[in-house]
Amino acid sequence: MIKTLRWIVFLLAALAMNFPVIVTLVTSFKTARELASNPGLWIQSPTLANYATVLGKTDRFNIYAYLLNSTSAALIGTLVALAIAFPAAYAIARSAIGRRVLLPVVINLRAMPLVIFAIPLYMMYQWLGLLDTRLGLGLILAIVNIPLALVILVNAIGEVPIELDEAASVDGASAARIMLSVVLPVVRPAVTTCFIFGFITAWNEFLFGLMLTTSRAVPMTVGSSFFFAASGGGVQWGAASAVMILGALPPALLGLIMYRQISASMTAGAVKG
Amino acid sequence: MALLKPAQSRLFLTPLTGFLMLFLGFPALVNLVYSVSSVSFETLRNPQITGFGNYALVLADGEFWRSVSFSGRFALVTALAECLIGLFLALFLAPLLRAHSVLMAPLMLPLMVAPAMIGLMYRLVLHEFAGPVPYYLFLWLGDSPAFLSVENAFTALAVVEILQWTPFAFLLFYMAYSGISPDIREAAALDGAPWYRVLLWIDLPLMRPTLAIAFFIRFIDGFRVFDNVYALTGSGAGGSTTSLSIYIYQAFFKQGAIGKAVAASVLLFLASLAVLTLINLMAGTRRRA
Repeated sequence: MIKTLRWIVFLLAALAMNFPVIVTLVTSFKTARELASNPGLWIQSPTLANYATVLGKTDRFNIYAYLLNSTSAALIGTLVALAIAFPAAYAIARSAIGRRVLLPVVINLRAMPLVIFAIPLYMMYQWLGLLDTRLGLGLILAIVNIPLALVILVNAIGEVPIELDEAASVDGASAARIMLSVVLPVVRPAVTTCFIFGFITAWNEFLFGLMLTTSRAVPMTVGSSFFFAASGGGVQWGAASAVMILGALPPALLGLIMYRQISASMTAGAVKG
Repeated sequence: MALLKPAQSRLFLTPLTGFLMLFLGFPALVNLVYSVSSVSFETLRNPQITGFGNYALVLADGEFWRSVSFSGRFALVTALAECLIGLFLALFLAPLLRAHSVLMAPLMLPLMVAPAMIGLMYRLVLHEFAGPVPYYLFLWLGDSPAFLSVENAFTALAVVEILQWTPFAFLLFYMAYSGISPDIREAAALDGAPWYRVLLWIDLPLMRPTLAIAFFIRFIDGFRVFDNVYALTGSGAGGSTTSLSIYIYQAFFKQGAIGKAVAASVLLFLASLAVLTLINLMAGTRRRA
């Protein structure tokens, strides 16, 4: 009895929380004619025409450019964050330096509304010529990713027995060498988690994409909203749905494959921070 | 512990500190200087320091206070609802999820979708002709409210935010709940304690730190909300859904009022700093206690 009730609650919760995604997915398979008469949740004559429309390049809307921009900016944002956070995490885990001030400050950054820094960053980017570039957007995404990456890596390295470092040190390895060829392989799962989580976060970012890009480096989140604005009053809902599904797919797939690791790291990031 | 020499440690920390200085420290400094200057897009490189006029402008702006009030109410309502629903789901579904851990995946999916994208999706979901929600409401009840009108937009946006982020609170609570040793619960059950006593006297007190953290994280994220609100309603009819982040964005990009936008940024910075200090102090006392 109570077990049935649990299933019902689970199904209701899953349906309610995923409702926009379900509706969009259903709509993306409807024909234009059906959309006008049937806004419901079933499909009378499923079609792939909307995806064909969206994936066919036009001058006004080039989804490949947006997908490519999102991919490269998210990759820069993730790899730069890892490259910067890893040595710092190693230093913090293996010495007393940085533990008292730097680590708490960086952890608290996760809770800082980054819009605060948006205007000076915009002016700085204008001056440096980084406005509307994938590199510029990627570097900001690295800032977004650094706090959680640092926490996860400090925790992971802290759990590696220091005897490993000492043994390598006795063999004459330098600190950098120990970090890269002894510690890094051991904490590879944590690095992978940081990478996946960072990629999803970076892909889904919107505010800086909106502020810092205008045409060449526009990411998918911002590009999708262009699609609504450009078509004015009469939004083509079928094509718009296909755009949203394609834009949401990469992070959703990554997340579903890695949901176990992600749930663990999300908890670590929140509770330790 | 001290395998690294201090000089080496500092070297390893240099990229991080340098990067943060450049991308956050320097902008924070620019914010401070520009907030007490008279500046426009023409005189961007040489601001004239003029005092606290920008702050006076912001503090006298009714629109600013409306956005603060929107963000505050939004943060409080959504954080509370997310934590309560998340707690209920975590406790009630725990036996089910322990037996079938794959059921976690659909409950976590909303966290993987961009909030901006969710906002756009709700334009479809709530659309009066193309959206299924108005369609079914008309079908079943014969009437459907205008979800994004001035009266209803706040509630609609809050529900959108709650449905997307309840999974976050749920996830933290489920992990904390699963981390409680079953021995404690069994011992209490052996002593004849009914389930609500176990909940009230064992589970909830042990989960208290997680409950507090989830609430604060969701409150802060709700306060700085931008993406889904901007994508769904923008600033809304008559500015009724202008969050503080949207206020800053619009002051800068739509009105070109740099001084005002920067002063509002500094005020938000100070408020965040105050809240964070408070949280850290509380966490510190807890750790010592």
